[in-house]
Amino acid sequence: MKQPSTAVEVVNLRKFYGSHQVLFDVNLTVAGGEKIVICGPSGSGKSTLIRCLNKLEDHQSGTIRVLGTELNDEIDNINEVRREVGMVFQHFNLFPHLTVLENCVLAPMLVRKQDRKTAEARAMTYLERVKIPQKAGAYPGELSGGQQQRVAIARALCMKPEIMLFDEPTSALDPEMISEVLEVMTELAQDGMTMLCVTHEMGFARKVADRVVFMDKGSIVEEAPPSEFFDNPRHERSKAFLSQILGH
Amino acid sequence: MKAETTLTDIELPPTQQAKFIPDLRRDYFSTTGRSLVTLVCLALIAYLVWSFIDWALLRSVWAGTPEDCHKASGACWAVVTDRYRLILFGLYPYEEQWRSALACLAILATVVLSCIPLFWSARLLPIIWLAGYGTFYYLMKGGIFGLPIILETQWGGLALTTFVFSSTFVIGMPLAIILALLRRSKLPVISSLTALFIDGVRSLPLLSILFTAAIILPFALPDFLVGDKLYRVILGSALFFAVYQAEILRSGIQSLPAGQEEAAAALGLNYWQTISRIILPQAFRLALPPTINQVVIAFMETSLIVILGFFEVTASGNAAFTAGGWNSFFAEVYFFVALIYFTFTFSLSRYGAYLERSLKVSSR
Repeated sequence: MKQPSTAVEVVNLRKFYGSHQVLFDVNLTVAGGEKIVICGPSGSGKSTLIRCLNKLEDHQSGTIRVLGTELNDEIDNINEVRREVGMVFQHFNLFPHLTVLENCVLAPMLVRKQDRKTAEARAMTYLERVKIPQKAGAYPGELSGGQQQRVAIARALCMKPEIMLFDEPTSALDPEMISEVLEVMTELAQDGMTMLCVTHEMGFARKVADRVVFMDKGSIVEEAPPSEFFDNPRHERSKAFLSQILGH
Repeated sequence: MKAETTLTDIELPPTQQAKFIPDLRRDYFSTTGRSLVTLVCLALIAYLVWSFIDWALLRSVWAGTPEDCHKASGACWAVVTDRYRLILFGLYPYEEQWRSALACLAILATVVLSCIPLFWSARLLPIIWLAGYGTFYYLMKGGIFGLPIILETQWGGLALTTFVFSSTFVIGMPLAIILALLRRSKLPVISSLTALFIDGVRSLPLLSILFTAAIILPFALPDFLVGDKLYRVILGSALFFAVYQAEILRSGIQSLPAGQEEAAAALGLNYWQTISRIILPQAFRLALPPTINQVVIAFMETSLIVILGFFEVTASGNAAFTAGGWNSFFAEVYFFVALIYFTFTFSLSRYGAYLERSLKVSSR
């Protein structure tokens, strides 16, 4: 996997919904291969931030560079970034009218122009990697939440992305299914994938993250390695958040 | 006693057959009042069915002259057997009516083939349609292979009805898709203009659209664009179908979760790939029941073109009993025409039910 030294570069990012500002001068640089966990209370703008990184959300000022390509209004740039950036959603967003395998080969065939045979072979290797090859012919509606989310991860990986974005991937899951998804994500991290995860799974953050980014009210409040962040949070708001989330 | 029945139901659900008699007793004869209502209704049904059989079969006349019919007291199917070619083919010249029959079959085959999911591809459907409509046109119009030319004004009956209906659908459905997509465009000018257009057309009755297409349009268009009245009327009818169908499709599209489009975008699919592979297949599934509804309505409304002088199947039915002394036997003719409509509508609704079932499998 060739990776430029800087995977993501966000400078002075501002984002508004109408007149309501949700991101205030966010600056963030992610090196290739780095694993970032973004956490913070709800409404802090963490999901909005990573949704800006593949232009699911427009930003109003500031610059975003992903793998050296600037995300502006150029449709070619947007498509180039989206090809190289995989995303996993809170609600899986699998295509319910397609089987698991069809979900996985759709984008490689349409966007990467792979032939069906190659795409299916590759999809099967990723489905094996997320431990669900036996469900290749099933429809998403026939799978459990945890299984659907693992398929969603495989679907994103089939595009061979350089960067993976995770938007609260375990928040919609029943408790007993969270670990199977985190396990897949951990393996992915160990393989060297550049990852940005919005998650409340602090155990995962501690184990996997190179850096934890704590956001509150649309700004980055604190950025630190997990050991430092969890054991010695510097800001009052980080402390309050941690005591709330780890308290029970 | 009732509680007992319910309990056994829950504990061991018996097979359908074993439950039939007890169910019958419980549902229709559990109280005196219920038994009474059941018996009265049964008697009424028996009476109606018997009267119909008596009229339609036992005392009926199947061949002969109006005088034979007047002598008998039952149904006069003789009017249908005598005039069926007028009903089915309208004013199409008698010796050439085999062409109309074949053309009608060609259109029916086209419709049936386009209903089979196997042929749903952007490459096959246009081929099927071109072949079907080409066959229809040259059979009906003639002018090649030594077939005498027969003008559109003489086309009629069932062939005309199926032609107008299926063209309305084939032109109207793609138009509906385009309108639905324009209607939800992110550019406000396009979406509001489309909304205005849809509302504008919807505020017009079909009759006035057909009149405009047939009579007023020729004054407004340059001569080479006018074409035959029949094709202008079909375009009007397709437009009418499209604006309603566009709103039906839009409701299907809007009931999809936003995550579907986002997931497609995140995977790098472009607009058309997202629309054709993700949005429309799901929107059609969701909008299937009202779509079938709209298609049935479009089929029924083909009968309106009679006011522009087209002898589609209802109008040629009218013509069948208004001459030759058959005047008093309109009920039989209408029954025959209704049977034709019912065959179409019933097949359509069964097809809709089949689609719903087969699509449900994939969205459990």
